[in-house]
Amino acid sequence: MEFEQILFYIFSFWFVASSLAMIFSRNAAKAVLFLILAFFSAASIWILLEAEFLAIILILVYVGAVMVLFLFVIKMLNIDKSTLRAKFAGYLPLGLVVAAVIVAEMILVLGSHQFGLEVVAAPARHSADYSNITVLATQLYTTYVYPFELAAVLLLIAIIAAITLVHQSQIKRKQQSISEQVKVRAKDRLRLISITSPNKKTKEVDGG
Amino acid sequence: MENIYLILVLSPLIGAIIAGFFGPLLGRTAVHSITILGVLISTVLAFYVFNHHVLEQGEVFNQNIYTWMQIGNLDVSVGFLVDNLSAIMLLVVSFVSLMVHIYTIGYMADDAGYIKFFSYISLFTFAMFMLVIANNFMQLFFGWEAVGLVSYLLIGFWHHKESATEASLKAFLVNRVGDFGFLLGIGLVFSFSGSLDYSAVFSSLDNALNQQLWGLDLITVICLLLFIGAMGKSAQVPLHVWLPGSMEGPTPISALIHAATMVTAGIFMVSRMSPMFELSDIALTVVMVVGAITALFMGLLGIVQNDIKKVVAYSTLSQLGYMTVALGVSAYSVAIFHLLTHAFFKALLFLCAGSVIVALHHQQDIQKMGGLRKKMPITYWSALVGTLALIGFPGFSGFYSKDMIIEAVNFSQLPYANWVHYAVVAGVFITAFYSLRMFFIVFHGKSRIPPDSAKHLHESPLSITFPLVVLAIPSAIVGYFIIEPILFNGWLEGAITVAPNHTSMTELSHRFQSASAMIFHAVQTPPFWMMIGGIIAAWVFSLYKTQWADWMVQKFRPIYYILESLYGFDRLNEIVFVGTVKKLGNLLWRVSDVGLIDKILVNSSANLIGVIGSVVRKIQTGYVYHYAFFMIFSLLIILTWTLFAGDSPLLEF
Amino acid sequence: MTNPYSFDIASLSVAIPEIFLLSAIVVILLIDLFLTQPFKQVTYYLTQLSLLITAILAFNLIGQPDTIIFSDSFILDKLAAVFKVLMLGAAMVAMVYTRHYLIQHSLFRGEYFILVLLAMLGMMVMVSGYSLLTLYLGLEILSLSLYTLIAIARKRSNAIEAALKYFVLGAIASGLLLYGMSMVYGISGSLNIGEIAQFSSATNLGGREALIINFGLVFLVIGIAFKLGAVPFHMWVPDVYQGAPTATTMFIATVPKIAVVAMLVRILIDGLGAMQLDWQGLFVALSLLSIAIGSLAALMQTNIKRLLAYSTISHIGFIMLGFVTGVIAGYGAAVFYVLAYVIMSLAAFGVIILLNKKGFEAEQISDYKGLNKHAPWFALMLLIVMLSMAGVPPFIGFYAKFFILQQILSAGFVSIAIIAVIFAVISAYYYLKIIKTMYFDVPEEGNTFSISAPMDMQIILSINAVLILVVGLLPNQWLKLALSLF
Repeated sequence: MEFEQILFYIFSFWFVASSLAMIFSRNAAKAVLFLILAFFSAASIWILLEAEFLAIILILVYVGAVMVLFLFVIKMLNIDKSTLRAKFAGYLPLGLVVAAVIVAEMILVLGSHQFGLEVVAAPARHSADYSNITVLATQLYTTYVYPFELAAVLLLIAIIAAITLVHQSQIKRKQQSISEQVKVRAKDRLRLISITSPNKKTKEVDGG
Repeated sequence: MENIYLILVLSPLIGAIIAGFFGPLLGRTAVHSITILGVLISTVLAFYVFNHHVLEQGEVFNQNIYTWMQIGNLDVSVGFLVDNLSAIMLLVVSFVSLMVHIYTIGYMADDAGYIKFFSYISLFTFAMFMLVIANNFMQLFFGWEAVGLVSYLLIGFWHHKESATEASLKAFLVNRVGDFGFLLGIGLVFSFSGSLDYSAVFSSLDNALNQQLWGLDLITVICLLLFIGAMGKSAQVPLHVWLPGSMEGPTPISALIHAATMVTAGIFMVSRMSPMFELSDIALTVVMVVGAITALFMGLLGIVQNDIKKVVAYSTLSQLGYMTVALGVSAYSVAIFHLLTHAFFKALLFLCAGSVIVALHHQQDIQKMGGLRKKMPITYWSALVGTLALIGFPGFSGFYSKDMIIEAVNFSQLPYANWVHYAVVAGVFITAFYSLRMFFIVFHGKSRIPPDSAKHLHESPLSITFPLVVLAIPSAIVGYFIIEPILFNGWLEGAITVAPNHTSMTELSHRFQSASAMIFHAVQTPPFWMMIGGIIAAWVFSLYKTQWADWMVQKFRPIYYILESLYGFDRLNEIVFVGTVKKLGNLLWRVSDVGLIDKILVNSSANLIGVIGSVVRKIQTGYVYHYAFFMIFSLLIILTWTLFAGDSPLLEF
Repeated sequence: MTNPYSFDIASLSVAIPEIFLLSAIVVILLIDLFLTQPFKQVTYYLTQLSLLITAILAFNLIGQPDTIIFSDSFILDKLAAVFKVLMLGAAMVAMVYTRHYLIQHSLFRGEYFILVLLAMLGMMVMVSGYSLLTLYLGLEILSLSLYTLIAIARKRSNAIEAALKYFVLGAIASGLLLYGMSMVYGISGSLNIGEIAQFSSATNLGGREALIINFGLVFLVIGIAFKLGAVPFHMWVPDVYQGAPTATTMFIATVPKIAVVAMLVRILIDGLGAMQLDWQGLFVALSLLSIAIGSLAALMQTNIKRLLAYSTISHIGFIMLGFVTGVIAGYGAAVFYVLAYVIMSLAAFGVIILLNKKGFEAEQISDYKGLNKHAPWFALMLLIVMLSMAGVPPFIGFYAKFFILQQILSAGFVSIAIIAVIFAVISAYYYLKIIKTMYFDVPEEGNTFSISAPMDMQIILSINAVLILVVGLLPNQWLKLALSLF
């Protein structure tokens, strides 16, 4: 076994193990941490595949930004763990059976007998001066410029959506209106209202 | 000629449009004048067309008037096929419609919906014309749906009556069943012939000869599906349940739509399709048996009815059964003959019933009538003619057509024809019994009318009695004059196809001597004596010894109960069809809806702490979870099915 | 060596509608920001204007030869151009109704219209998508806008619930769809629809390739079925229809269906048409289940929006049946059905919105009791819609069903046609129930159906409903159009 293969298996193992740990973890914060570990493992596998740029982006964006934000949210919302768990346990057996059958069918179709190296040849290695970033950038701005723009629109919608859903209807700014202050007269300031006093009640209250 | 046909068909439509849109501006008199003028033009032209085609043997007219859509190989046109069959139908429809228009002036005089009513019946006349004059299946189906639609409108005309609304819904739904059978039949016709034009379809019948579907000949399946359509419209068992209910509509409608014209559309359609039905003995047998069941058992129900219109309605069902039997034994011309005589005498009977109803201020219970003979002489004599024609009294028109049907069944080679023969002969007794029973109870005997309405009792106005007299004449004599030409001298030749191995008609023509000879011969046949028996029985039970009727009811309570409950068809529908469907719907509702709406929304919003919080909780209590799980589970099933079922590529690995 | 970044600007002319719409969105977004409350209506008018201009631009592209640009990821053919015009037209009608609803329920915000425009953009991208990637992106643009359009009624708990349900389930469906796409990409080596078609129709397709494409196919069909709302992926439909603000429900129920059918055509017919026999069985099962469940579950509904949800499910079943036939005439019939469905649904929701009053949603069927007494014209409109949905001639809904059945029969699936017909009969019952409620029941105390909708909405709604009859009487051109798209 080559060194690369050993690395691959190690990272893959960590990837699967941390994903499972994330799902089964009792504590939401721990789950996030396990997810971060899973991202790291995935990034490592990408590096093995010579996709260095993507690997770094994955760590920078997801681990560095998204997950940290996620942790914030989890810490802010106090999620009740016990109800979560009770439901989860109830559905577990059925869920496991279904999952197992689907996985079995996937292995049947997508197993190594279908996509192994003997069926699909490994792609050729790139030379050391091969630049991931240049190729990616060229592709993004030529072949994939249209999907790239669409992705930008998608982000625009996300922003609009977030603002629409969170934004309170009107922001009341506290502002002086000088002209009104000048124009005001005494009778506007003070209003006299004749109140018929409910004598009895007042007395009762007093007496009580 | 094309223009004449166009004017004939369109003039009622123009009348209907004017009445419908400008009626309130024009006033009642103008509206009924315009619509009657429209139908009058049609009637005159129908006589002309009849003369041209049937008497002078003019060329058959078969042309597309307007191409309506043309999509790929599907070509839908508005086209006219005027041959002897449609010429006869046009005449019957326009004539009866004209009489009903005139009658309506008197009958609906006090009704707020007067103008609307005229607009509807003219519209109906137009739709019926389009149906009978069609030269392709699509137009036939359109006319079919259009007459149905007007029929529902008119059944529910008095929509302040709950029962009228219910009846119109029932008619709509039952006809939907028939229509979709019809539609499937049309679809199959198109699939083998590639055309919807009658002539093209009939000339490509060979394509379909050796094809199989569900273990039956393709032709048989098509004929059966088309016949389901006919069963819906012509109210054959078990799709008959809507017709008695349709009596909730105003009486002119019962005469025009539910006796003379629309309900015979099924009979007409099967006759039109005779080239197809002739190829399938199975289909013909089914047609015959269904017809016989309807003829016999629906007639029995007429005996126990006390609503004057219901009695006539059940007799209509039974007579439609007779026509269907005639279709089944390949005696299409006899069926059309009976259709024609029946249109006259049944319209007459309904209009007589309407006359009585009007005179008694919308009293329909025959037990509260009696002795009307003196007070309403014209109605009495018209009703007598109608009744004698209905029961087939020798010499009257109904005698010829019904006798021919019975004879034709006698000669049929189809399986079960002997049983059907017994049924139709027994039907004669029953027909005579319930018809005369009603006649005696209404017009003879002691008056059971409350004194205050008896005081105002008088004969109906001229607009009502005139149509009665005009309809009474053909009811009496038309059979005598046309039996020979319509059955044996080729009025319907060319329009109808009979296979050489179906010999009923040839046998009949060998036996037939003349119309007058039939009268004298009648005395020697069982149907005549069955009829006499029926008359006597009716006289005994309704006039001579009325207490015997009560005694019979006591003695044969179970049978009476069965008849009273209409063989339980309504209950059956209620329980089996409506019930099952409702139960299924209910089940789905409970599974998918109650669980959600009640459990989550109602219950949880009761202790709603904060919107977001409760929503989060909702997700966590697993309802979206359920949905998601359901999706994944479906995925699993579909994946498994794709991978392991049938000739999956996986099996090759 | 040529400059990789250079391109021919003239080639972009076929994408003019999309380019214009996106620019318009950005401009309106900015304008809306500076509008004070009394002038918010301007956003609405600008929206209508940009929809109209986009529609005109798209209309001018009808008849252009098929053009593929953006490195084979954008196609303009007749299907794309016609679908765009139809969607934009439907959206314009929908917006007329929407404005009234939003004002009545104090939901009128500029963002609503901007999100609608963005959803339109997404759908146009889908319709013109010629690569799995752009199809997916278009779908996501659409979905994300729709989630927000539901949740925009923040104060209603069931709207939020509906949005979240739709979001969660939609995300799962998107995941499945992506998984299927990756399967197809993995085996064919291309995201491009044309190349996938070439790959899948190759005669020497080995067992391994066929198996994996089939496997991916299942996921693709499920993804599409979810977006269409076909059983068993329909669970979201009733909840979302009921929970969402009626205007949003109307939008979800109409325009996106056209786009998803276009996506279906692109992926399953343009791309994997050679595998038709493999997805045919799946489609038969999904469509019959949809027709059955849709027809039965609607029987017990008392909420008209929920009822229309189940009715949609059953219509979707009929549309999918058209694709079962595997012939062009069948696809044409399906497209015609979509068109009919959109016109009918718009009118149905239009009447519902019309009867909305301040703070009152005419949601229950019992709210329509005696409508004929007080608003006979609109009762007639709803009558037309219901009869048409029930498949009564001569309304458009009849032809839609008729053409589908005719194609199914021609293709030899007689039993399928019969099952479909049986359920069509059953479904006639609940449409009829509404008619009965409107015409024969006595109105509830105090319900006078005062109609506060502006004139423009009343006129458009009337035209909309009358169109059901007119297209029903003259279906020829529409059917020819539908057939010419393939």
